[in-house]
Amino acid sequence: MTWILRSGIAAAFLFAAGTAFAHHGWSGQEEAVTTLSGTVVQSVSLAGPHATMKVKVGNDVWNLTLAPPSRTASAGLKEGMIPVGATVTVRGNRNSDHSRYEMKCIYVKQGTNEYHVYPDRE
Amino acid sequence: MNLAPFFRWLEHSGLGEFTRSLGVWSYGIINLVHILGIILLFGSILILDLRLLGVWRQVPLAQLSRPTTSMAQIGFVLAVSSGIPMLSVKTTDYIGNPFLLIKFPAIALALVNIWLVHRTTAWRAHRERDLLPAEQRRLAQGAALSLAFWLTAITSGRMIGYW
Repeated sequence: MTWILRSGIAAAFLFAAGTAFAHHGWSGQEEAVTTLSGTVVQSVSLAGPHATMKVKVGNDVWNLTLAPPSRTASAGLKEGMIPVGATVTVRGNRNSDHSRYEMKCIYVKQGTNEYHVYPDRE
Repeated sequence: MNLAPFFRWLEHSGLGEFTRSLGVWSYGIINLVHILGIILLFGSILILDLRLLGVWRQVPLAQLSRPTTSMAQIGFVLAVSSGIPMLSVKTTDYIGNPFLLIKFPAIALALVNIWLVHRTTAWRAHRERDLLPAEQRRLAQGAALSLAFWLTAITSGRMIGYW
């Protein structure tokens, strides 16, 4: 009885852990690096698990995910630095699902300011 | 059921504003408290439920039930008091996330199950006398449901971020 329970519990945990790893990190993103240029519609937010911003490219609003807040800030990119309406160029890996305008950004450039939020991914 | 207006309200609430203003490490720290809460909650519940299901019969239930339920209560309070601020940071990001719609009903069912188990004669009597086989079976049923509901809540909770 006990060993059945033990194996059952272990199997349940392994299943949960397996599904978690399958979805972890950048696996939902394309391998290829995409470059976008557009207008900021929501400036950088350093709240939440990752810093975020929204950029309008043509008629589409892209949800951009940056590094975690502490890492984005130490790359020099802080809240209020890039105003709404500014033109930015970003590089990153877009969502494998092209119906979702979402990208994990490696690099952000505004004018002459460059922010390497994931330097090890460049 | 359209939760979008509620999500927008929570994101723009004072709690959302306050949590967002706490600095770059705040989300990580609140997340840590949430995980510690879940560890206390589920760790204690797992021990109690396995005992009710018939594991470690040599350990008296009357002695095990008090520390495990107290720790689970503390864990639950920690998890809720960190979970609501985490949700308030960017609530609108979760609009359409199916895992939230599994997680919160699972928690509600788990709480209803606790309430029902605590009302049984078996639970009320377990600290005073040995339980009859039928009473043990009733508590074992509650324990099985409890594990199913909490594991569903935790699994779907973890998946929210990966949707």
